[in-house]
Amino acid sequence: MTDSTRAAEVRCAILSFAHGHANGYAGVLNSLPDAELVVIADENEERGRGAAERFGTAFVADYRDVLARDDIDAVVICSENARHAEMTIAAAEAGKHVLCEKPLATTMDDAQAMIDACAKAGVKLQTAFPVRFNAATVALRDAIREGRIGTPLAVISRNPGTCPMDWFVDPDLAGGGAVMDHTVHVIDVLRHIFEAEVTEVYAEADTRIYDIPVDDVGLVMFRMSNGLRGSLDTSWSRPKNWPIWGGVEIEVIGDKGVLKLDAFNDNLEIAEIDGPSYRWQSVEHSGDPEMIAAFVHAVKHDEPVKVTGEDGMRAMQVALAAYESMRTHEPVEVVTG
Amino acid sequence: MHHGRKDARHTMSSAASTANTPVRFALIGAGGMGGSHAANLIASPETELVWVVDLDLERARSWAERSGGRATSDMDEALADSNVDAVLIALPTSLHRMATARAAAAGKHVFCEKPIARTVEDATAMTEACATAGVVFQVGHVVRFYPEYARIKRVIDEGLLGQIAMVRTMRRSGPVMERSPWFADLEKNGGLIIDLMIHDLDTLRWYFGDVERVYAHGLSYTEWQQTRDVAMASLRFRNGVIAHLDASWAHGGFYTAIEVAGEKGLLSHNSRKNATLTFESSEKAGITNSLPSIAFARPSTANPPMRELMHFVEAIRTGSPVLTDGEEATRTLALAQSVLDSIRTGRPIVFADDATATSAI
Repeated sequence: MTDSTRAAEVRCAILSFAHGHANGYAGVLNSLPDAELVVIADENEERGRGAAERFGTAFVADYRDVLARDDIDAVVICSENARHAEMTIAAAEAGKHVLCEKPLATTMDDAQAMIDACAKAGVKLQTAFPVRFNAATVALRDAIREGRIGTPLAVISRNPGTCPMDWFVDPDLAGGGAVMDHTVHVIDVLRHIFEAEVTEVYAEADTRIYDIPVDDVGLVMFRMSNGLRGSLDTSWSRPKNWPIWGGVEIEVIGDKGVLKLDAFNDNLEIAEIDGPSYRWQSVEHSGDPEMIAAFVHAVKHDEPVKVTGEDGMRAMQVALAAYESMRTHEPVEVVTG
Repeated sequence: MHHGRKDARHTMSSAASTANTPVRFALIGAGGMGGSHAANLIASPETELVWVVDLDLERARSWAERSGGRATSDMDEALADSNVDAVLIALPTSLHRMATARAAAAGKHVFCEKPIARTVEDATAMTEACATAGVVFQVGHVVRFYPEYARIKRVIDEGLLGQIAMVRTMRRSGPVMERSPWFADLEKNGGLIIDLMIHDLDTLRWYFGDVERVYAHGLSYTEWQQTRDVAMASLRFRNGVIAHLDASWAHGGFYTAIEVAGEKGLLSHNSRKNATLTFESSEKAGITNSLPSIAFARPSTANPPMRELMHFVEAIRTGSPVLTDGEEATRTLALAQSVLDSIRTGRPIVFADDATATSAI
């Protein structure tokens, strides 16, 4: 941080490429004029070195070596879910701002400890919820707030995907399966749009598609503090040869109309003679760029982050309640105090 | 299924309905659904519409004129006619039991529109009345006769998708209660669940068998229910399948969709996306208008209401089993009632092994 250009930049590191979203985030960091991706840390050396080469940056194996540096302002944590807490707390104690991949953690205790550590250290903690920043989601929020559909009466939503396999299906590292992976995005968007909390959850979930030790299908039924009732399908129900990873669909039904978000529907359908029958190519990637830019902006200008650790914890809490309901077959109250 | 064989004995003793002579119908109720059935009864060479019964005698007459039959506002007059082989009941739901009981007692085969009745008690009594009288009893769960839903059953049964994991169905329509308030009558008609969601409940029972557990959200018991209604249900089948069903009288136009995800693949159908004929009006276009400016259709030689009618005719003639008989329709109604009970109580409803629901508080 010697010359004036450098001083205006937020110097970032990515800690672990365990979660594939790190690739999107790295690309965005490289494209932002006021951010720089300085180093990638990954205990999986092959994975980390590969990423560092792709994104033209440095590599270290041990993330603690990154935290020990005084020329790093912020870290983006994309490790396995269960390791978010350890890395976030260490980063906070080293005075680094944190953007943490979702779900924020796998237990409420971990999530709270992360929030507390960042607060104590005076660093920012943002949960990586890019869907909230997606242009169509913003338009959905504005249309609802403008009263375009009258009074919202019900929400029917889903975040289906292909099964990510790898550590995502290891209960110790992921903290769960499809429900843990795919509850939090939509719940965060709904909490954001309606400025309301989920108050009750009922869920059915099971392992019916793959031979894995976690749930691969999930259906979460919920009530919100504003009276809204909804459902969310979290299933890894897209076959592995599906043209894209999955999608986020949120349909809000009001007394004057219906708004339907299909956030990842902006695809070109491409059929190649020598390829699969067809594949989809995104026209634009909206969500990641706006989310990363918002984090960088908050760090640079010392402003509050747009999506807090508390937001991450509340969304995760709904997934945990869903697991409790899945076991008891009873509706579970979600206490947000 | 046993009733089918009993029916066969009955019909073989009846000279009037042996193969190739038209089955002679009295239509009871000539409203919206009744009118659609009347058109099929007139169009098919296998059926004859000899009586049209409606309290609105003018409405009855207009169909009778077209069919060459007679009109009356007194159903007993039609039932007393020995030239009537069968009745097609298209009355408000709350009148189904009365009409079915009288028709069965008069020895007429009964085709009754869905839902079979408003209560399981009524449905059971109707099924028993038809069994006792030895007449064929079919309930109009027409979705089983839609080519797409029938083909989906075949794909599932053939194992193309492997073990089924998650199923989603949608059935969306405009606020029908605005033009016909009786749709929203929870007590008599049952509202959105008993009238609309019941289609997919029946179809999924056909695909996957009995349900173990039900949980649902909806507007049935809110102040909105008289003008808009939406519901979503979570079903857990005994075979493990998880299903999400939604139904709406709060959308802009009618469409249905289904998605079946299994361990070997994914199947989906959407009546808009898969429409083979689309009509788009240039008048009053625009999403702010309350009138839908686009209509989607799938013209087909397989007219589903005609197919279910011919299924009924065949059962009368040959004693072949009825796919949507009284017992099936009663079980579907019990399932629909459990969805409504879950919405009312906010509790999951668990079915015992004999498929009866535990009472919801």
